[in-house]
Amino acid sequence: MKFEHRDIPEGINVTNVHPLRELAVLLCGAVVLIVAGVYVLGLSAGFMAPCIPFEMERKLASSFPVEQGSDGEVEAYLQQVTDRVVNVMALPDGIDITLHYSQGNTVNAFATLGGNVIVFRGLLEKLPNENALAMLLAHEIAHVKHRDPIVSLTRGVTISSALGLILGWRDLDLMGEAGVYTLLHFSRTMEQEADKEALQAVYRLYGHTRGATDLFDTISAWHKASGAGDGIEFMQSHPLDQNRIESLNTLTTSNNWPEVGQITPLPRSVIEELKGLGKETSL
Amino acid sequence: MTNLIIFLVLMTLGYLAGQMAERKHYKSIIQREKRFSGLPIIASRFPPTDKLFNQCLVTGNTVISVDYFKRFIAALRNLLGGRVTSYESLLDRARRESLLRMQAQAYAMGAEYVFNVKYETASISKGRKNAIGSVEVLAYGTALIASDSGTGREI
Repeated sequence: MKFEHRDIPEGINVTNVHPLRELAVLLCGAVVLIVAGVYVLGLSAGFMAPCIPFEMERKLASSFPVEQGSDGEVEAYLQQVTDRVVNVMALPDGIDITLHYSQGNTVNAFATLGGNVIVFRGLLEKLPNENALAMLLAHEIAHVKHRDPIVSLTRGVTISSALGLILGWRDLDLMGEAGVYTLLHFSRTMEQEADKEALQAVYRLYGHTRGATDLFDTISAWHKASGAGDGIEFMQSHPLDQNRIESLNTLTTSNNWPEVGQITPLPRSVIEELKGLGKETSL
Repeated sequence: MTNLIIFLVLMTLGYLAGQMAERKHYKSIIQREKRFSGLPIIASRFPPTDKLFNQCLVTGNTVISVDYFKRFIAALRNLLGGRVTSYESLLDRARRESLLRMQAQAYAMGAEYVFNVKYETASISKGRKNAIGSVEVLAYGTALIASDSGTGREI
């Protein structure tokens, strides 16, 4: 018997594939998988969440502290406009709106669980007329009507736990970013739907849509002044300001809603109170 | 965004350093395999009977760590399934290096063959699965040293 040495041949025990090619293939596969998974989960959350009773939503919301407002002129006026907007929006039975006015400088307004709509003085003082204010309130009320706050919450919780479960323990947390961007798609769709519903409400209230897009002009101007707002749409929770204005204009034209009409100014007393408070807080 | 930058830096560093180390290691492995080609390593348990041999245990042990790039690819594979190619070369290197170390020991003893060669492979990650990704390979066998040979050789 002969015992001999032979060279170990290369390429049998190691697959000959370029690591970067391997990375590209795997990365694309994983991103497609995550985006598809999040999309399906997001859709199902969108179907299921509206089945949660509004009453339960209200209970959930009652655990969050909400700033108590003062009995000023502004609040009374906001409440009055809200009532008028709610009247034309045909909210389903059992859903009602609770308006909160915050004196903070934040340029924002949002709707949250339990029909709570919060409007900040910072945004209010920038609005040029009542039509823009009605658009703003109608937009937030539309979110409540569509049950967007509870849908977003359900979606967020479902998807983050699913991603955490699948990716977290594998050291792939970063791949979750793909899921987050997919989630933003749902958020933008919600905004678009709320915009449409709001514009319809403004039309019903005033008989024309003039002034409605002033809201987004105001927000856009503020975004520009503060150096935000521009960017890539798929990375944002809201559609870009310009796209919003354009799609509203298209909606007005396709419905033959009149674009001209009387603009209702904000009451002088409200403007003065807003300005007075602005000075106080800036001091 | 910061996370993404940290990730990209780690991936690039892992890729460049890992590839460089691997290329260098393979070069050295192939070179040394040629050098030890006169010392056959055999898996059989039955030594040749034509000559009298002294027997001695020889071992070669290697621990190699995985780089960030390879670990990420392996994690993705874990999600999608398939060959974990990034770990294949890691294990191949560890096994061949262990054999070479064992051969070096046998060569120094003046052995003519190493018989009954076996491997043990272990991952060094006990309890720290995500922090340490190293592999240990032990190769061992029986060196057959002709009973009339001298005290050994210089490696």
